[in-house]
Amino acid sequence: MRHVRAALARLAGVFTGPRADEDLREELQSHLDLETAENIRRGMHPDEARRQAMLASGGLTLAAEAVRDQRGLPWLESIAADIRYALRALRQSPAFTAVVVITLALGIGANTAIFSVVRAVLLKPLPHRDGDRLLYLRQSMDRPGGANVRFSVAEVRDFREGARSLGGIAEYSPWTLTLQGDDDAVRIDVGLVTGNFFEVMGLSPVLGRLTRPSDDGTGVPPVMVLTHAFWMRRFGGDSSIVGKQVRLDGNAVTVIGVVQAAPWFPNGVDALLNMVISPHHLSAFMVQSRSHRMTDMIARLAPGASVEQARTEVAAVYARMQSAFREAYDPGSHYRVAVIPFKEVLGERARLTLWLLMSAAAFVMLISAANVGNLTLMRGVRREHELVVRAALGAGAARLRRLLLVENLVLTLIGAILGVIIAMGGVGLLTSLAERYSPRANEIRLDAMVLGFALALAVALALLLSFAASLPKEGTFASWIAAGMRRMSGSLRKQRLQRALVVAQIAVSVVLLAGAGLLTRTMIRLSDVTTGLKTEEVLTIQVPLLTPSALTNPALVATADADAKDRYDRMRREIRALPGVIEVGIGSTMPLRNSQIDLEIKAEGKSPAAGEAAPRADLRTASPEYFRAAGVPLLAGREFSSTDRLGSSRVVIINQTLADRFFAGEDPLGQRIAWTGEVLRFTPISGDWRTIVGVVGTTQDGGLDAAPGPVMFMPFAQELAIGGGLVIRADSNVSALASASTRIVRRIAPTSPIENVMTVAQIKDQSVSPRRLNAELISSFGILAVIIAAVGIAGVLAFSVSARTNEIGIRMSLGADSGRVQRMILWEGGVLLAIGLGLGVAGAFFAGGVIRGLLFGVPPHDPTTLIGVAVMMGAIGLGACWIPALRAARVDPAITMRST
Amino acid sequence: MADKLDVKQGTLALMVLRTLDVLGPLHGYGIARRIEETSKNRLTLNYGTLYPALLKLEQEGCVTAEWRQSDNNRRAKYYALTATGRKQLAREAREWHRTADLIAVFLAPRREAT
Repeated sequence: MRHVRAALARLAGVFTGPRADEDLREELQSHLDLETAENIRRGMHPDEARRQAMLASGGLTLAAEAVRDQRGLPWLESIAADIRYALRALRQSPAFTAVVVITLALGIGANTAIFSVVRAVLLKPLPHRDGDRLLYLRQSMDRPGGANVRFSVAEVRDFREGARSLGGIAEYSPWTLTLQGDDDAVRIDVGLVTGNFFEVMGLSPVLGRLTRPSDDGTGVPPVMVLTHAFWMRRFGGDSSIVGKQVRLDGNAVTVIGVVQAAPWFPNGVDALLNMVISPHHLSAFMVQSRSHRMTDMIARLAPGASVEQARTEVAAVYARMQSAFREAYDPGSHYRVAVIPFKEVLGERARLTLWLLMSAAAFVMLISAANVGNLTLMRGVRREHELVVRAALGAGAARLRRLLLVENLVLTLIGAILGVIIAMGGVGLLTSLAERYSPRANEIRLDAMVLGFALALAVALALLLSFAASLPKEGTFASWIAAGMRRMSGSLRKQRLQRALVVAQIAVSVVLLAGAGLLTRTMIRLSDVTTGLKTEEVLTIQVPLLTPSALTNPALVATADADAKDRYDRMRREIRALPGVIEVGIGSTMPLRNSQIDLEIKAEGKSPAAGEAAPRADLRTASPEYFRAAGVPLLAGREFSSTDRLGSSRVVIINQTLADRFFAGEDPLGQRIAWTGEVLRFTPISGDWRTIVGVVGTTQDGGLDAAPGPVMFMPFAQELAIGGGLVIRADSNVSALASASTRIVRRIAPTSPIENVMTVAQIKDQSVSPRRLNAELISSFGILAVIIAAVGIAGVLAFSVSARTNEIGIRMSLGADSGRVQRMILWEGGVLLAIGLGLGVAGAFFAGGVIRGLLFGVPPHDPTTLIGVAVMMGAIGLGACWIPALRAARVDPAITMRST
Repeated sequence: MADKLDVKQGTLALMVLRTLDVLGPLHGYGIARRIEETSKNRLTLNYGTLYPALLKLEQEGCVTAEWRQSDNNRRAKYYALTATGRKQLAREAREWHRTADLIAVFLAPRREAT
């Protein structure tokens, strides 16, 4: 109580200074008077009495100072004074302040923005209860598309029974369904889940309930749990949706609840349903076939179990499975299972890119810090005179250090505030980048942690800057003052530090530029990749008419298929009649995309070598016009014709890659080929022999950077109308046809979702845009770094010139001409530049290896890039040296000598 | 004269409170004089220690201060003990005695030594 009162009194004392000072002066005066009077009473002479009184009291000023310290909060007052002083000093050198603040703002802004993404996507704990105990199991094998083949129900069952360290295993099977709205239809991505799914995942409902084990199996009503994002997007967060029924693929499904916001793997999902919606998932094929792999497995560690235990146990169970069911694990494909923490899986695709961006941003921060450090050091040298005077007036080293710290804090905090504003702008852009890599992108925000990060950066920088400046040791002041020195010219050490910083800046800039160069060259290489198509004036419209559930219902499938084919044909004919249209084709898969269905194949009379991975091909259908419409070149044989009908002999067209795979050196035409493998039994696709009638060129399906795989086309008329879309070729400006074509499709198929109305050029662009954004971000960091480094080297040399004006004056008066002086300064900068370039190229060599995975068609140590970058940095660096060198050359010896 | 001692902050507050308790309201000079006399001039006080201590006591609410005419007709700032100050004095005096007793026991000559 007493202390609180005292503290409040002192706080009040901060503001009552002048009045209290007057009161104190009077009080001390009265003390002196009383003592003097006393001395006189004792018989002293009045003058002597006063002198003795003063002696006894020990100095008025000192006492006043001591009382003042007790009255208020001296540290608060002096810090306020320091801040006022710092602001005044910074206002006096606006150029310095502006350069430092802008440099810092860019550095802190870039780092804050990217840190916000890194934190949301990689670092932040999962929203799931005990999210760090969730594990993702991944089965993979050696073949294109084999990175994640998922699990079959039989495999999940074995793990559930055999691995005790997995406390619970949730099954999740991605699926698409068509949601019929009142006036539209959309395809939604759903997950078919087991009843224990949410329990294992540790997710809670925000509304209604989630699925539970009683929702498993057949004979239960289909129920749907909405994800938070889809609930907001589609239903506007309407809570009355719970308990209502919606129509999915023609079935009535009850919405039972909304689950909390959470990241979904591998992609965003709109809703989760019990398995009963898909008869296929409960069919005997699905449940019994070991190689029918459609299920993602997410497990929760049993209490007390460790990830290591789980790994060991999973490996043991998997080894037993492989030896018991050899036919399901083709030895040439090297089947394997990895146990990965769920959080890592979520960040997997983003990790390399994000750490690359984070380190690029950190490099920019380093360079800006070095630059600010240099500027502060230079300013520090100019201010030495002032510091000496302050020291002479009684400021201790600690006090001076604090003054510097306050000044630097003011600078870095202004920088941080501007930086956060920059980051606010950048986060939007980065979120759109992150969405391509991570399901957690919607968690990105500038929260307290991120703002704390910016603040910590600012404070750390201020500390660094304040302690980099060399202050004289206590006690050495006196000698300087005595020597009448204007400056503490022990600047040699400082110059060395400045030079080291410049070298570091150049080196780091080279590393960044090299990264930017490699990524830009990757982009150029990608734009050189030909799609394999003859034209890009092609519009694609995906409109799946045959839903997966219709396919799995044997009673309906024939009529549904005939109806779908009829509608496709009407669409084709009506769009064909639009002005400007050259050709319209129908097919399961759009050019430059993958069908997502690939199956094992075999060729008549060819058996795969032992130990070799079983050959597979992408399964597609195409109408006779498809190849001409899409611009897929026909290399040999014929296209499909209207005589390749249902019931006529089975024919196929293969792509060049498949032809090379099976028929290297022979004529593939007339040879027979067939789908094969255990999975075939569970599909509507026949394993009969099919005769090859044509070979088409290989196209860059699945992205310009992906290695194209084997493809087998079947006549659209001979197979079920799976997938399905239109390929429209026009003489020019095909995108202008989009709205007219979409209207026709909508009229003919009013309840079907219409998707990806895109030109081939857009599909191509979509596949490279994440890389382009990467390249652009790193390039802008690189350019920023070079600018900052150029300012840095010019600044240090300019400072060196101004410090050496006398020396240069003497040299010139002794006969050095201006060319020689200029060369001297250039040489000084050139040495720094050369060291920096050397270190930078070494660093770039290393960094290239790290980003190997982000490159395409460019070796990570590409000499052209490295040399180009070194030359560019060298040229810019020399340019930056030239300005101070010219200034040195213009030094007038007469003037400099006189002013010494 | 014996060596002069410096006064420690805490002890000074106690001395000031005790002086005001015994003599009633007094100005700074009077307090200083009285403390020096009581200590038989073993202590000296200068403004720099006395006045901050008085201010601190005032901030804590142990004393109040007001300007008055002194006996010899001079204006001076008089400090007077408050109820809080009296309690504080009692508490500090008690603690001081306890500490002093304790230290005395520790520093007593060893009687067992033979």
